[in-house]
Amino acid sequence: MKRPDRRQLNTLLAYAAAAAIYITIGVLTTDFLLSVFVACAFLLLTVWLVPAIVRRIT
Amino acid sequence: MSWAAHDLEPYAIQKHSRLKIAFVPLLLGSYAPDLMTKWYVYGIHLGPWKLKASDPAQFHRGWPGLGFTHSFIYGAVICLIFWKVLGSKNWGVSFMIGQWAHALTDTGDTVGTMLLFPWTHHFSVGAWAYAGQTGRNTDAAAYFSGLGSMWDLVWIVYGFYSWQVLTRSYFEARVFTADRFWPAVNKVVPMTALLVIYRAAFFYGTSRWIAWTIWAHVVHHYPYDLSWGGPHWVHAAHS
Repeated sequence: MKRPDRRQLNTLLAYAAAAAIYITIGVLTTDFLLSVFVACAFLLLTVWLVPAIVRRIT
Repeated sequence: MSWAAHDLEPYAIQKHSRLKIAFVPLLLGSYAPDLMTKWYVYGIHLGPWKLKASDPAQFHRGWPGLGFTHSFIYGAVICLIFWKVLGSKNWGVSFMIGQWAHALTDTGDTVGTMLLFPWTHHFSVGAWAYAGQTGRNTDAAAYFSGLGSMWDLVWIVYGFYSWQVLTRSYFEARVFTADRFWPAVNKVVPMTALLVIYRAAFFYGTSRWIAWTIWAHVVHHYPYDLSWGGPHWVHAAHS
């Protein structure tokens, strides 16, 4: 099996961090887990929009 | 019913299909049977009114009811609509493959599906309990305590084993080019965001599998029962 390179591992870490937040919110409020659209919006926010804004500011 | 498998199967299908598959209708087909039915199985509140099926299993999988949404003919009809009415054979076939995968996966529980509707025989493997009639939380607790959750886990593990399907290079070479939807959206949404959207169903299926498992077994201590047709602590519906 091919191993991921450093850039791919960094991407995986970003998604894992997003997943940890999503899972924590979901366990506390299970309604959060009910929609793929909510999950998609959450993911866009956490791994694309917020990092893009931070990059622009810094 | 299955919870995360319908989110994850499309990635495996996309990887192994020799056909040109469009991912969006494939995923839509994988969700379609439950998009039509689940809200009424668990019930929803509209102001002072609660809308809920009097016999959720019958409504979800049976006839009379909307059980035909879990049959091959339903996928074929929607395929023909995409193909002949809307002019996209690719979307039609992709939708049908996703919907058929859903219908086949749901034969795993104790109610099963009417695969060959209008023949109303339920095809059921009976590996895990159907508990939709008990409400969303008890259904989740039961599902994530039985073999259904292990079936989902197979897809999660397989997804990580096949991690290349989630990479940017795979998305650009195999997914983006297979469907005019992505280039059209790419006119207003950057490629990086499209890649996130492509990965979202895998993220959703995996994350909610973990979350519901924690909720059921760490927060609430529901017992695991991985015996055939279990968990037997919940009243399972049968066809």
